[in-house]
Amino acid sequence: MSLQEETMKKYLMGIALFLCMIIPLPAFAGVPLETVKVHVDKVLDVLRDPALKPESAKKLKKERIRAIAEKMFDFTELSKRTLAQNWSKFTPEQQKEFITLYKSLLEDAYADKIIAYTEEKILFTKEVPLTEKTAEVQSTVIRKTEEIPIYYRVILKDGVWMIYDVVIEGVSLINNYRSQFREILVNKPPESLLETLRKKVKKA
Amino acid sequence: MKRICRFILTVVLVTYPVILWAQAFDEPDTVVHTSPEPVHSDAAPMDFPQPFSLSAVSGQHEAPAIIVAQAIVGEEVPARELATFTGKEAPEEAEEEVPLIADPIAPFNKAMYHVNDKLYFWLLKPVTQVYSHTVPEPFRVVFSNAFDNLMSPGRVVNNLLQLRFKAAGNEFIRFIFNTVAGIGGLGDVASPALGIKKQEADFGQTLGHYGIGHGFYLVLPLFGPSSVRDGVGIAADRFMYPLSYISSNELTFGAAAGIFAGEKVNDTSFHIGEYESFKDAAIDPYIAMRDAFVQYRQKKVEDSKK
Repeated sequence: MSLQEETMKKYLMGIALFLCMIIPLPAFAGVPLETVKVHVDKVLDVLRDPALKPESAKKLKKERIRAIAEKMFDFTELSKRTLAQNWSKFTPEQQKEFITLYKSLLEDAYADKIIAYTEEKILFTKEVPLTEKTAEVQSTVIRKTEEIPIYYRVILKDGVWMIYDVVIEGVSLINNYRSQFREILVNKPPESLLETLRKKVKKA
Repeated sequence: MKRICRFILTVVLVTYPVILWAQAFDEPDTVVHTSPEPVHSDAAPMDFPQPFSLSAVSGQHEAPAIIVAQAIVGEEVPARELATFTGKEAPEEAEEEVPLIADPIAPFNKAMYHVNDKLYFWLLKPVTQVYSHTVPEPFRVVFSNAFDNLMSPGRVVNNLLQLRFKAAGNEFIRFIFNTVAGIGGLGDVASPALGIKKQEADFGQTLGHYGIGHGFYLVLPLFGPSSVRDGVGIAADRFMYPLSYISSNELTFGAAAGIFAGEKVNDTSFHIGEYESFKDAAIDPYIAMRDAFVQYRQKKVEDSKK
């Protein structure tokens, strides 16, 4: 064995050792990011599916997205955080109905937002821990004339990371809805907000 | 040199009193504990907010802050303060701070919101659709780069004003490189070749960077949601726009308006459908847009402090 070969072997072993050391790390640290990425990819697959492109397949497409959204978002957490202090003004039945209505509103809204980016590249850049049980997964949509940051806030519930907020260009979805709901709830009872939502969901 | 001096003088003279006046509308920093009940609980609908009284503003020096806050915010009682009373069983996790904005001229803003809405659906959208069909995308991207390149000097100046020297330097290099190698900014060659991305900065953000609040919400025709601070920002940024310095003999008002319209249409061609989906998702589009504006600008100001 020549000296050169020996050096080469050592070098290769060094690389192998180095790889062994670094590879498992992101696998542990990147759970929230991976979880979100897998879900977003699934939604994009549905939106990009040529079989689901025609108008006639709209219902089927919606159902598919709904099924993914169920696993992706924590709608109870979303609802609580959106209503914030107003949550306690709702009776348990009203809370239940609110979650259902808000869910279908959000599914449509999210699908509508992400559908605009189906042709673009989406990069998942990093994750930032917020608290012990929450983290922010940051992604960027690369468009031809601009880059749009989309951040997903996730919470750990029963060992699963679920989304409780989507922040697009600094605009938090739950904050945006909170300000709209608050406007209604300042003067009107929870029932009137539910009625507004019922009408809205029916129309869509 | 004379031009620059005149620019600085004008900006200071115009900005300072307007900002001072508008500051009266910002929420006081200290938490004001008003009554737990909404002040105008008797079903004051959004379209008829409390008449906005200027005397309440001008008399701010004598009046305690609480009165000013009540008078200004009108039908919109600061919910953050309200919340401290009603939140007995609030969700475990603390609610995030929501930035609020005073809206004393809501009737005007709502009217302008509807004007812009109609402008979009009746004029901007149809024109843009024809334009998109006529002009292929690669050309539109080139135009977009060129329009954007003209804004670059403004970004350099604002980054400097915010003391972000690295960003200012990068944007300066990007401007020179794109103007020369990108032929007048037709191509954004600095991103792939030098790895330099656009360093966003505007004058409204600069004012926010130094702790100046929005004043109050202002919907501008054509420009859309803004505030007193950001409106001043838009005006100031015009002084940093190269085409503002071409004499009116060479660039007539009509031509300048044409450039503005072209930029608007070209820009919209990349965003058709976004406003529609925003409206679809909103319960109250006016409130949704106002809130999105505040959050968006808040993020910009926060970014400038990094």
